[in-house]
Amino acid sequence: MIKQAFGGTYQIMRGMGVTLKYLFKKPVTNQFPDEPVVVYPRFRGRHVLKRHENGLEKCIGCSLCAAACPTQCIRVEAAENTDENRRSPGERYAAVYEINMLRCIFCGYCEEACPTGAIVLEHDFALAEYDRWDAIYTQDKLLEPHQPKYIQIRDDEVFVPQDTWRVNK
Amino acid sequence: MSELVNVTIDGVEVQVPKGTLIVEAAKRAGTEIPVFCYHSKLDPVGMCRMCLVTVGTPVRNRETGEFEVDDNGKQVIRFFPKPMTACTTPVSPGMVVITQSEESIADRRGILEFLLTSHPLDCPVCDKGGECSLQDLTYAYGPGVSQFYLEDKHHSPKKEPLGDLIYLDSERCILCARCVRFEDEIAGDPVLAIDNRGRNSKIVSYSNPKFDSKYSGNTTDICPVGALTTRDFRFGARAWELESTPSVCNLCGVGCNTVLNTRFDEIKRVMPRQNEALNEIWLCDKGRFGHHFNGSQNRLTTPLIKKNGQFEAASWDEALALVARKLELSKEKTGGVAGAHLSNEDLYIFQKLFRTVLGSNNIDHRIGLNANWDDQLAFEVGAGVGTDIGRLKSESAILVLGADLDEEAPVLYLRVRGSARRGAHLINAGGRWTKLDNIAEKSLRYRYGAESALAWGLVAAVLDEGLENKDFVAARVDGFEGLIDAMKSFTPTRAAEQSGVSEDDIRAAARTFAKAENGVVLYGLESGGNESLQAAIKTLLLITGHAGSANNGAIAVLPHANSRGAADMGIVPNRLPGYRPVEGEAGLSAHEMLSPDAPLPALYIVAADPAAQSARYKAAIEATEFVVVQDLFMTETAQLADVVLPARGTAERDGSFTSVERWVQAFDNAVSAPALAWADWLAFTALAGKMGASWSYASADGVMAEITQTVPLYAEMNFDNLTRPISLERKMSHYIYSGTSFTADTREGLQWRSVAEASEAKMPVAFIAPADVPPAEGMTLVAPRVLYDGGTLIAQAEVVSAHIQPAHAVISRKDAAQLGITADDSVTLTVPGASVTVPVRLNGLVPQGIVLVPRNLSGFPAEKLLGSKRLTAVKITKVPVAELA
Repeated sequence: MIKQAFGGTYQIMRGMGVTLKYLFKKPVTNQFPDEPVVVYPRFRGRHVLKRHENGLEKCIGCSLCAAACPTQCIRVEAAENTDENRRSPGERYAAVYEINMLRCIFCGYCEEACPTGAIVLEHDFALAEYDRWDAIYTQDKLLEPHQPKYIQIRDDEVFVPQDTWRVNK
Repeated sequence: MSELVNVTIDGVEVQVPKGTLIVEAAKRAGTEIPVFCYHSKLDPVGMCRMCLVTVGTPVRNRETGEFEVDDNGKQVIRFFPKPMTACTTPVSPGMVVITQSEESIADRRGILEFLLTSHPLDCPVCDKGGECSLQDLTYAYGPGVSQFYLEDKHHSPKKEPLGDLIYLDSERCILCARCVRFEDEIAGDPVLAIDNRGRNSKIVSYSNPKFDSKYSGNTTDICPVGALTTRDFRFGARAWELESTPSVCNLCGVGCNTVLNTRFDEIKRVMPRQNEALNEIWLCDKGRFGHHFNGSQNRLTTPLIKKNGQFEAASWDEALALVARKLELSKEKTGGVAGAHLSNEDLYIFQKLFRTVLGSNNIDHRIGLNANWDDQLAFEVGAGVGTDIGRLKSESAILVLGADLDEEAPVLYLRVRGSARRGAHLINAGGRWTKLDNIAEKSLRYRYGAESALAWGLVAAVLDEGLENKDFVAARVDGFEGLIDAMKSFTPTRAAEQSGVSEDDIRAAARTFAKAENGVVLYGLESGGNESLQAAIKTLLLITGHAGSANNGAIAVLPHANSRGAADMGIVPNRLPGYRPVEGEAGLSAHEMLSPDAPLPALYIVAADPAAQSARYKAAIEATEFVVVQDLFMTETAQLADVVLPARGTAERDGSFTSVERWVQAFDNAVSAPALAWADWLAFTALAGKMGASWSYASADGVMAEITQTVPLYAEMNFDNLTRPISLERKMSHYIYSGTSFTADTREGLQWRSVAEASEAKMPVAFIAPADVPPAEGMTLVAPRVLYDGGTLIAQAEVVSAHIQPAHAVISRKDAAQLGITADDSVTLTVPGASVTVPVRLNGLVPQGIVLVPRNLSGFPAEKLLGSKRLTAVKITKVPVAELA
């Protein structure tokens, strides 16, 4: 009986000890969005349509991203650049570019298919909307610049160049 | 059957006719030899060198002439030291071909690397991307990397208009000359050429206007790269994103098979669907680019009822209730005009509505200058089932009478031209020069109005020279003795006097036609198609035995998509569906219905715009108490209507058309219609319901199911048969060398049999003396048909607007010189009671004394001058410049 009482107390103390230990540790909870969230550089989040340095869109409306997309969540309609209305270098630009973020599985195939590096899965992950229709991201929403304040990119990720893998092993 | 030879291709032994090219023989053996310049429809040239293969032939002993054999008893094959082009080398007996030899593969890699040295590799933005031979073959055979420097790439302008419909990107061009060869060989419009040499070679068009061909769109189909693209589809969609729906072109009577490529419920492009019996793989530019009426912003979207002179939107229920109430009052006095753009189902239900519910025979589909044309020949001696007008050879004769096929039925022109190239005897009889004269063996130039004299002249020449087919006449012709008696007075000499064609020419043409194994007569709008002419053509076909079998008979080149079907479905006042005469009295023709002197109490006008055509029609419609118009657009006639009902376009519904060659073909629904637009048959059915009938058609194939029961000609034409996939054998033969992604394996349709084929009974022939037309004093007005006219549908296609001809008159240069008219002038054409002023064009090929004013142009000048006549004497005066200003 006494043994039991002591034993119980010991267990409680042990449990409380863990609590006590964490009381003095730095909390892991992130005060999102007041505090930035740190993600790895290769984290695949929300898409961004890139621009050239001169401000022209990199996207040429070729629709290869839509062809590669396993969930068919990208819709592209192309149009022709004119001298008055030039949106991208070359002849063709995307007049409509939409991604249905509810369908997207963030596989990154679109990025892989893109011949101009126009679409890139960047680090934003806060994609909640109040309306389902708002989850269809249109071109003006997707185009650069898009730099959410609450994202910080870790710089301590170690990249191992692909062709050195075998040597390192 | 020509001689067969055995060849071995990649170890597979096949038997092919002598003279077959290796590339075609390989197709039989199931091997695809890669090609760029070769196209099975074009003559081989061997320009691209992609098809290099290793070829060997069996060795013969020089002394004995025997094949040499090796120790194992096998034939010794000696391979040629150099690779051979499979596209220009015909097979020889015992030939051995290795298509995948190491050398060949290395050759192909080299050729591709070379072709790509100046290729921009802009596949992501190229309209051909995804259906490009160069892409496909580079994946299959090409090198992954190039040894050439990127900086040395040849650059040229990206987007050069080759014509106003086609863009050239000469960076992408590999100079296979398929486009040049198509225009030269198939279309007969030598408007393209390769300019300059070496690296600077480039496709150019020197014609004025540039790329002046009605078939220019086909060059983009056969282009193996993205060098030629259409303005219409530019950046429209990627090839793999398009949905394909089989359809039938509704812009002329040929009935070309098409594929409607759609994306997001919008037609992005129209492509030809291969049908070797009808359009092969071609499509004219009107059919390709004229589809924009479907998605036009100007479409009628809701039923309208006119209240106090203003149209107000109404529901179908309200509108139909009003129509039903009014038609109850007019009953058998109601008149109905249904344009021949409607499908067979619409037309059948329309005549059923009139004949059973209203008890009226006042229905017609022919208005304006087509009003007098009642073709019976196709029913009696129509070209036999299986006729392939594009594949006739030297044993056949084709007589074209009064038809400018290039303008009236473009793809039919291509096919007739193809036959003439392959040796068929083409006799082109016309009142003026037409493009077929370029290739015709014999051109007969008759005096306008004397078509029947010429046709009877041919009959007289056949009889005079004893060239009639005696067995056929004995077996199938009734009244032959009577014909000989009746024609005693009408000799070829007399015909020559009447028609203005020399007797020798008439006799020569008659001889050619009578002696040919097969004979086809195509007669068109300009021939007039009167009773005497039809009797003459029928007699000519019957006495020469050219009736009742494939590749023999008559084809009437009718004006609209379903003119044939309208005649079949009894949209004429004197006949029921299936060419049965009406019981009792015939009704009024459209011309009689639309008479301002005796207006009917009510008119129902569907898919036709008579008010625009003449003041007489307009006055008649204004005088009619109650007018219902059912159409796609707010036409001039619709503006005069009391009720306007919105209909659906061809792409927005299903149905079937009957082509001029009597092919009944089904088309499918590709895009959705404006919400309140109904298919025409549905509107008629609903109206009949309001008037007490209890019809229960739920779909177009339901209507066709009834037609198969009631119209014996259409007994086989149910939608199951019309949409049956083509046979595997046919599919195999359909393979064409170009990377287009559309498929051709869906359906072909069916032909109905003419009387001459369907029965063994004797057919009567009788002489109807042609009217003697004396040479006209002064000028004669003729209204030919042009492809790009002022039609309601084509007017909605902005892309071809530059081709749509404004109102004009054409006269010969000699007449112009006499009248002191120059090409910049306008002329006033005057006939008793009407006069129009139009710009003039001069043409050295128009005969003297003729003024050509094409029909159906904007403002309808020809219709105003001619009324319902075919030809008229016209006074032509130059308009003083001051008056124009």
